[in-house]
Amino acid sequence: MTIHQNAPDPTTVSRRTLIGQGAAAFAGLAIGFGPEMAAAKKGSGGGSGSGSGSGSGSGGTTTPTGTPTTANVGGLVGTYVGNWLLIGADNTVTILCGSQEMGQGIMTGLAQVVAEELMVDWNQVKVEHAPAGNFTYADPAMRGVTGGSMSMRGYYQGLRVAGAKAREMLKMVAVARFGGSLGNAVAASGTVSVNGQTATYGALAAAAAQQTPPSSPALIGNGRLIGRSVARTDIPAKVDGSAVFGIDVRLPGMVYAAVKHSPVHGGTLSPTYSPATPSGTLKAVNIGTAVAVVATNTWAAKNAVARLTPSWILPVGATDIDSAKIDATAQTLMASGTPLNAELLGDAEGSWAGSPKRLEMTYAAPFMAHATLEPMACTVLYTPGQSCEVWASTQAPPSVVGVVTKLTGLPATAVVVHPMFMGGGMGRKFETDFVTEAVKIAMAVPGKPVKLTWTREEDMTHDFYRPMALSRVRIGLDANGQPTSWSNRIVTPSILLRFGVPGTMVDSQAVDGAIGLPYAFPSKRVDYVRHTTTAPVGFWRSVGHSYNTFVVESAIDEAALAAGVDPLLFRQRLLAASPRHLAVLNAAAALAGWGTPPPAGRARGIAMTIGFGSIVAQVAEISAPTTGALTVHRISCAIDCGIAVNPDQVTAQMEGGIIQALGAAMWSRITFAAGRTVQRNYNNYRMLKMRETPQIAVTIVQQGSPIGGVGEPGVPCVAPAVANAYAKLTGTRFRSLPFFPNAGTMGEDEGEDD
Amino acid sequence: MYNLTINGKSYSVDVPASMPLLWVLRDVVGLTGTKYGCGIEVCGACTVLVNGEPERSCDMEVKEAVGKQITTVEGLSPNRSHTLQLAWIAKQVPQCGYCQSGMLMKAAALLRQTPKPTDAQIDAAMSNVCACGTYPRIKAAIKAAAGIAA
Repeated sequence: MTIHQNAPDPTTVSRRTLIGQGAAAFAGLAIGFGPEMAAAKKGSGGGSGSGSGSGSGSGGTTTPTGTPTTANVGGLVGTYVGNWLLIGADNTVTILCGSQEMGQGIMTGLAQVVAEELMVDWNQVKVEHAPAGNFTYADPAMRGVTGGSMSMRGYYQGLRVAGAKAREMLKMVAVARFGGSLGNAVAASGTVSVNGQTATYGALAAAAAQQTPPSSPALIGNGRLIGRSVARTDIPAKVDGSAVFGIDVRLPGMVYAAVKHSPVHGGTLSPTYSPATPSGTLKAVNIGTAVAVVATNTWAAKNAVARLTPSWILPVGATDIDSAKIDATAQTLMASGTPLNAELLGDAEGSWAGSPKRLEMTYAAPFMAHATLEPMACTVLYTPGQSCEVWASTQAPPSVVGVVTKLTGLPATAVVVHPMFMGGGMGRKFETDFVTEAVKIAMAVPGKPVKLTWTREEDMTHDFYRPMALSRVRIGLDANGQPTSWSNRIVTPSILLRFGVPGTMVDSQAVDGAIGLPYAFPSKRVDYVRHTTTAPVGFWRSVGHSYNTFVVESAIDEAALAAGVDPLLFRQRLLAASPRHLAVLNAAAALAGWGTPPPAGRARGIAMTIGFGSIVAQVAEISAPTTGALTVHRISCAIDCGIAVNPDQVTAQMEGGIIQALGAAMWSRITFAAGRTVQRNYNNYRMLKMRETPQIAVTIVQQGSPIGGVGEPGVPCVAPAVANAYAKLTGTRFRSLPFFPNAGTMGEDEGEDD
Repeated sequence: MYNLTINGKSYSVDVPASMPLLWVLRDVVGLTGTKYGCGIEVCGACTVLVNGEPERSCDMEVKEAVGKQITTVEGLSPNRSHTLQLAWIAKQVPQCGYCQSGMLMKAAALLRQTPKPTDAQIDAAMSNVCACGTYPRIKAAIKAAAGIAA
């Protein structure tokens, strides 16, 4: 299957066309994705997994280029039948997952799609991460990179076809053996029955792999697995400590590394700096962006590296990464920066100026850390001139391959990447900075596997942060309180600049969630002004939506209150021509009991977001027990993600997104002082805990929409829904995130048994 | 050389006296179910039981663990049969799963001390951080394991 992306609009480039490809993707515009592992290629372990071929160079079976061998994919057992799946002689089916598991349940979801068409029972199915390196496969959307809530959207159709092709190839073999016709052969529960005889897939697999796959097999799935809340395959290993996260990798003879980066962002080491080996350790290494120490355990390595005090060469302006300066620059750019237009309809500024009621509000959002509970970790075994094997918690295995080939000079065929369970990804593990470091360290200890683990302090102070944003919204209202204009001017750094999108163009990520709104404003203008700070910025769960939805949905609420119209009704009027959005909005309102008064002392706020192919609306019900505090009692969430492959996991993603977003809205922020990140650990980067977690109710709206993503859409509505409820309750409007920046500490109030 | 009793087994480890139990478990003994999250006793990912009490192993020196019964998530049951493990699976609690070892150990200590905890007692005891936001399911699983109606 080859899928061609449409050429992106020349002024906006999406994350998905850029990931893993950098500027080349942008220059290339139309991207043809490579063929899937050609189904005719046979990678066979013959059901034994031992392999007996020659020529792989790794002791595995002979396989054509691009197909994994049993030896290099971590002991996968079985015979490849078509793409994405192996069938063992014992009739187990191993489905390869081309996306990386970071808690979103994608290993289960993608396997459900394959298994639906393959006609196997769920208890026959095992799922493994597809390795990267000399294993190449096509991911129709993201080319093996996990992000953008794209996995299910990108894979859904292709995996159904892959399952169906394998099913038909198994049927072909059964017909050849038993007679009868393909039309009469029945595949069910991992068997084929035809002409009065039945064989298991396991007995047919080796021969099936030799069949030419049908080009367009019938899709016969009827919701046997798709749409069912089957149990996740990865959960049992996550309740007994046996799940191996990137940080947990252990290999014979392994050594352990820790790094220290420049405390001021952007600092590097002189190439002439050659640290002596600290006592009690094995080696110290200058890796340019950091100094590393290798030892026999992580604790020894991190203690030793902490004591090193190298001189850092700072780039010009490094100390300008300072919150006070960044904020002042933002104000200047808001007032007088040169904007790039991202969306234009009519003369919004003229309409605003001529409206009887003119609203103007300015909103601010801070930098934020990803703070994944598992810090950056990567294990590398480098054998000079031969191979490089990487075990990493990574959202971007193909990018890891690129890092290794660049640093080692090895061909991609000599590189194997094992994507491990991630202890949270949130967009941070799309980056390969820590992989680069681990490979450099491994090259200094060739032949020895080395595991690099960042401390929490290095993780929090050397993140690619969710960018700050300053936004000014102007809304004109006519005499009846109906909007005449909508203008939004957004000042924020560009994430995509780092990936080759010139600063003279609109960064699509910066305006995501601010353009293409379904609300029927008669005139619209959305402008983007790039903030020039060199603070490192990156993709944080829901990216631009994480601040733009706060701005948009807060401003609409302010307009509703100014017009004296119920905020739900105000939105309903603006969505009259958008029934799909209206249905989701109404579903959230109904779930929250919007039409009935809340309990005494409480108020409700509503918000909606459109992104990642899905529509989400949420209602927050809150109280404010004391001045300057608030309690969120309940969040009611409606989502339309088209096809909910695993409804319980859609619900889980909404729950998790809401909880993460609520902590972020209340407390989380990163600030900088003279080039340094101020917050260094969780004690001053507060996140939500159980006792602060509201009741969460989720409803999945089914109205025949195209399939959408679910990993990110739960996040954006929380801050505006809560802010809107707070304004309703108290008359005070939160226009700045987080709501309580001075309550951002954690852990000091515990005073408990441990 | 320190002699430790972990999940009922004896281990001799040749490490400095001040090495935190967390790193002894992970890098020396090879029990990686116990996680590093912050190193400053805030997140709770490293929670283990020491003589049945929850302890954050990132800040417990190995010398303090000598002569005590240490239980990690690997020792909660031999075959995922602990009522909390069963409840964790039934309620499909974990997302990324990284914090769940610490959560399970915290919950095990809670139910040992308070077999039928109230919501407030669960909230107070379960102070570990989960960045994925699995709290509602953790609470539901604890109640299920305790035989408390949701």
